Amino acid sequence: MHIDSNTYLGHWPFAPLPSYTAGKFASHLTDHGIQQALVSPLNAVFLPDPMPANRKMFTAVKPTPALIPVPIINPTLGTWQDQIDECLHLAPIRAVKILPNYHNYRLTHRQFEPFMETLATNKLKLILNVRLNDERTQYFALNLKGVPQTDIAKFLKHYPTSHPLLTGIFRPELKQLASQCENFSADISFCEWRNTLVDLLTVLPPQRLLLGTCSPLLSTRGQVDKLNLAGIPKKSKTLIGSTNAKRFFHL
Amino acid sequence: MRIFDIHTHPILMGSGAKPEEIKQLYTEGKALGIVGMNSLGDVSFYGHCPDAGQCAKINDGNGHLQRLFPDFFTSFCHLNPTLGERVVMKEAERCVTNFNSKGIKLEKTNNASASCMKHIAKAAREFNLPVLQHTWTVHGIAGRRVPRSIQSDPTDTATFARRHPEVKVIMAHLTGFGFRGIAEVKHLPNVSIDTSAGYPEEGLIEYAVEQLGADRVYYGSDLPIREQSVTIGRILGARITPKDRQKILYDNAAILLGLN
Ligand SMILES: [Zn+2]
Repeated sequence: MHIDSNTYLGHWPFAPLPSYTAGKFASHLTDHGIQQALVSPLNAVFLPDPMPANRKMFTAVKPTPALIPVPIINPTLGTWQDQIDECLHLAPIRAVKILPNYHNYRLTHRQFEPFMETLATNKLKLILNVRLNDERTQYFALNLKGVPQTDIAKFLKHYPTSHPLLTGIFRPELKQLASQCENFSADISFCEWRNTLVDLLTVLPPQRLLLGTCSPLLSTRGQVDKLNLAGIPKKSKTLIGSTNAKRFFHL
Repeated sequence: MRIFDIHTHPILMGSGAKPEEIKQLYTEGKALGIVGMNSLGDVSFYGHCPDAGQCAKINDGNGHLQRLFPDFFTSFCHLNPTLGERVVMKEAERCVTNFNSKGIKLEKTNNASASCMKHIAKAAREFNLPVLQHTWTVHGIAGRRVPRSIQSDPTDTATFARRHPEVKVIMAHLTGFGFRGIAEVKHLPNVSIDTSAGYPEEGLIEYAVEQLGADRVYYGSDLPIREQSVTIGRILGARITPKDRQKILYDNAAILLGLN
């Protein structure tokens, strides 16, 4: 059984997705061989303050232990410390997710220094989400590009003792980044090419890749099959499918 | 479950043409249940506007595949309508005669609503070939990047289909033309779509089946740009009936291309 490091619960305005409750979402994932998932609130993507969406998500997933809540934090708001404190109080969180492109900030923002210190103090992992959809098929009224790979490289070099998880990174961006930095892991949700994993394992060890499906925005079955049917050693599949996530998030 | 992939580019960017590479592609495909692939050639290798000789070289690549695995590969011929009627008809005839081409593949040489598309319609009628047209929304970032003169929005592909109702059109790239593209061709019975390219965005397969019916949806991957396990998994995981799934993955292509 797999662990999915990149899933969402809530409303997405750009597609008629199935409207999942936490319980229904967990059983949908189970149907595709996913026994645990890190889940973040989609409703926080377009809110000026993500907390109302985080609170709702904590309540929603409480009866569903298979879904591990990952709040979305905006470290550039004046209340960033309050956001983290409240989340720590509401649930035993293991990580926080940031969406620099949706929340309109750069990774060089001055508040990142204390933010990163607070994460380290509280033993919280950072998930840096690069994108939620392919810019080429984005809704016409949006013009959002993924978080620039050069910014991510600078960020990783600036915080050499941190080791974030990058979600939603494209395959060429990941390959480029892998040649520059080692202090990160990545999910495979937006990496795709013929023999994706065979290709990625030429630049990254299997210990740094995690299964992420970006469900329910992308097809869970399609994403899981990318791993299940990959022509890579079984040991690597187990690492990518669950072991790495267990280690990364202390599950 | 038998699967036929209507949209592949097995030889791409100079690689993939060696017999052992083609054998590997064949073996990997078979492992996924793929019983045949339709090759569309390396249509971007010579840039946006290949000349007659370059089109012929692209199409010869398909012939190469078919010689090695005749029961596995079919092909569509790549034509450039901007080169005029004589060139289009000559190359279409050559491909039908030499490679038993089953259709015509159009990329980004021109907009699908351009007047030169009448040459394509003529070739399609004369040789009884469906026309597979690259289509992508011009409203996203890609649309702003690629000039409309060569990028066909679903409205452009629909214009071509409306002008030539006797021609069977396959509008390529489901994720690329999206919900709006499906709606655009719903009332054009000569238009079908393929599921190739883009990420496996949720809801699109279901919407296509609901609006067009499964008879008008072909499975395609866009290999090697995409992963076939993902593009197939997207259809296996869609909330549609098993019968519709079978139509998309194999039956529709079998009827269109006269497969056994
Ligand atoms: Zn293609």
